[in-house]
Amino acid sequence: MTKADDRPASLSLQSVSKHFGPVKAVDGIDLDIGQDEFFSLLGPSGSGKTTMLRIIAGLERPTAGRVLVRGQDVTAMPPYKRRIGMVFQNFLLFPHKTVAENIVFPLRMQNVGRAERGERLVWAMKLLRLDGLAERYPNELSGGQQQRVSLARGLISRPALLLLDEPLANLDRELRAEMEVEIRRYQKELNIPFVYVTHNQEEALTMSDRIAVMRNGVFEQIGPRNDVYRKPATAFVAAFVGQSNQLTGRAEMVGPDSLTMTWRGHRLHLPHPDGIAAGDEVRFFIKYEDVEVTPERPAQGNHLGGRLRDIIFKGQTANYIVSLADGSEIIASASSRDQKVAIGAAVSVTWPATAGMCFKS
Amino acid sequence: MTSVGDRAESWRRLAMSVLLCLLYVFLYAPILFVIYASFSEDIVWPFPPSFTTDAYAELFDNSLYSDALNNSLIIGLGSGVLSTLLATAGVIGVLRFPSRRRALILITFLAPLFVAELLIGISSLAFNARLLGLPGNLFSAIAANAVEGTAFAFLIVLAQLVRYDWQMDDAAMVFGASPARCFWEVTLPTIWPSLFGAFLISFILAFNNLEISFYNLGAIPTLPSVAWGSLRFGLGPELFALAALTNGLVFAVFALMYVLMRTGIVKFGYRGV
Repeated sequence: MTKADDRPASLSLQSVSKHFGPVKAVDGIDLDIGQDEFFSLLGPSGSGKTTMLRIIAGLERPTAGRVLVRGQDVTAMPPYKRRIGMVFQNFLLFPHKTVAENIVFPLRMQNVGRAERGERLVWAMKLLRLDGLAERYPNELSGGQQQRVSLARGLISRPALLLLDEPLANLDRELRAEMEVEIRRYQKELNIPFVYVTHNQEEALTMSDRIAVMRNGVFEQIGPRNDVYRKPATAFVAAFVGQSNQLTGRAEMVGPDSLTMTWRGHRLHLPHPDGIAAGDEVRFFIKYEDVEVTPERPAQGNHLGGRLRDIIFKGQTANYIVSLADGSEIIASASSRDQKVAIGAAVSVTWPATAGMCFKS
Repeated sequence: MTSVGDRAESWRRLAMSVLLCLLYVFLYAPILFVIYASFSEDIVWPFPPSFTTDAYAELFDNSLYSDALNNSLIIGLGSGVLSTLLATAGVIGVLRFPSRRRALILITFLAPLFVAELLIGISSLAFNARLLGLPGNLFSAIAANAVEGTAFAFLIVLAQLVRYDWQMDDAAMVFGASPARCFWEVTLPTIWPSLFGAFLISFILAFNNLEISFYNLGAIPTLPSVAWGSLRFGLGPELFALAALTNGLVFAVFALMYVLMRTGIVKFGYRGV
C-alpha cells in the first residue's frame, strides 16, 4: 500500500488468521490502513468481517498473525488498553447511565479529569447535535438519537481508530441515508481512520475511500471504491457489488482484446480478460446502467431484440425490464425522465463491445 | 339474545370471583388467624375478640428467643450472601464461557434442590465432624444451608441473566474498562435486582431452616429449633407472637419494595433499551 508519507500505518494486520475449530473465519489477512482513510469491509454474513473487527478491537485473539496500531504491536494487548473506539449495530448504550454518562464513559475509564471531561462532552454533544438530551436515558431516545450517542461515545476520546460494526443496520432507510453522509463527514473532519463493517454495498460505496470485499475469511478484492465497482476482480465481486445482468455462455473466438460468446443462440462481443481460452465457459456481468434500451436496432455493439415488459420506477432512475424471445430478461437502468419507449413495445437491448466484465467459471 | 349472553357472562364473572376469593382464603386464612390470635387474651378460642399484647411481652422477656433470633439472622445473612456470590459466579461462568458440557454443569448446580434437607444436614454433620474434625457451629450451619441456597439462587439468577447482553461488557472493555471495573460499572448495576431476589430467597430458606441447621448446631438455638422444641409444652402464646412478627416483617419488606417501585425511586429489573 503506498501512502503519502512514511509514518507507520494507523492499523496494520499481518497475516492474521482466526480459526474456530475447523472453520477458518479469517484466513491470512494482510491490511494497512492510513490515517485519513475511510475503509469498509464489505461482505455477506458469515464472511468473517465481524470477526476481523473483533480481532482489531482485541475482543478476539487471532490464531496467527500480528495486529499493529500506529506501529505498536497490540496482538497480545487486552481491549481496554488499546484506546480504540467502537460503534455497535445494536448501539449497546449502558441502560442505567444517562446520555452524558454514556458519552464520557471512555474518558472516565482513561482517568481524564472532570474539567476536561466536561469540555469534551460539550464538544461531542455539539458535533453530533445531541443538545438537550444529556440527562435522558437510552430508552427515552429514538433509534437515530441512540446511534448518535453511540457515535459520540466512540469519538469522544479521539481514538487511534474507530471501528463501526453495521451501525446503520437497525435504522430506517431515510435515516440511514442521512447518517451515511454524516458519518463520512465526521471521518473527514476529525481525521480519524474509520473501519466500517457492512453487508450493504450502497453504504460501503457511499462512504468509503477504499473497500475490501470479503468472502470465506479472505479478501476477494481490495481497492478504491471506483475500482471495486467498475473493475471487479472476481465473479463474486461482480455479482455482489452493484446490480448486474449475468449471462453465462461458451467462449468461441478469442482475440487479443475481445472474445465472442454464444449465449442462448446470440453471438455477443465481449471484452477479453487474461486466462480465457476458446471453449471455456464464461460468466459475463454487465451493470444495469451500462445497458441501453432503444426502439430501433443500433448500428454497432451488441444487441438483443425483445419486448419491454415493465418499468420499475426508482425516482431519479428507472429499471427497464426487457423480455427476450426465449423468456429470459435483461434489465437496463436509465434516467426515469426520458422514457422513449412504452411498456409492451418491441425494443432492442444494446451495449458496447467493451462494456462489462467476463470471468471464467 | 344479547340479554341471555350478558346474563351468562355475569354469572361466569361471579363464579370466577368466588373462586378467586376461595383461593385467597386457602392461602392466607391460617396466617391471618395466627396474627389475630397473637393479639388475643385467649389464644385457644379467641372469640369474642378481646385484645392484649401479653403474648409479645412474654416473647421479649424470654432471652432464649432473642438468642435464637440472632442466630437465625446470622445464619440467614451468612448463607444468603454466600449463596448469592457462589450462584452469581456460577451463572456468569456458564453463560459467558459456552461449553459443550453446559447441560451437565447446569444440572450439577441445581442437583442439591433434589436432595432432602435431612440428608444435607446429616451428611454435612458427618463430613465436618468425622472427616475434617470440625465442631458444629454457626459457620458450619451457614455453609450447610448455602448448599441448598446456592442451588435456588443459581436458578433465580440464571432466569434473569439469560436475558443479559454480554456484548455490553465487550463495549465497556473496548472503551477502557478492565474486567473488574466493567463488572462494577456496567454488569452489576444492570443485574443487581436479580441478585437481590436470589439473596432474599436464600436468606429466607436458611432463616427458616430446621433440619440442616439442627444437625450442625446441636444445642445452639435458632428460631425454628426453639419453636419446634417448645411444642413439647403445647402451643404457647409467644409462638403466635413470633409467627405474627416474622410474617409482619416479610410483608413490610415487600410493601416497601412495592412502594419504591411504584414511586420510581428504585427500578427492579431492566430499563429496556
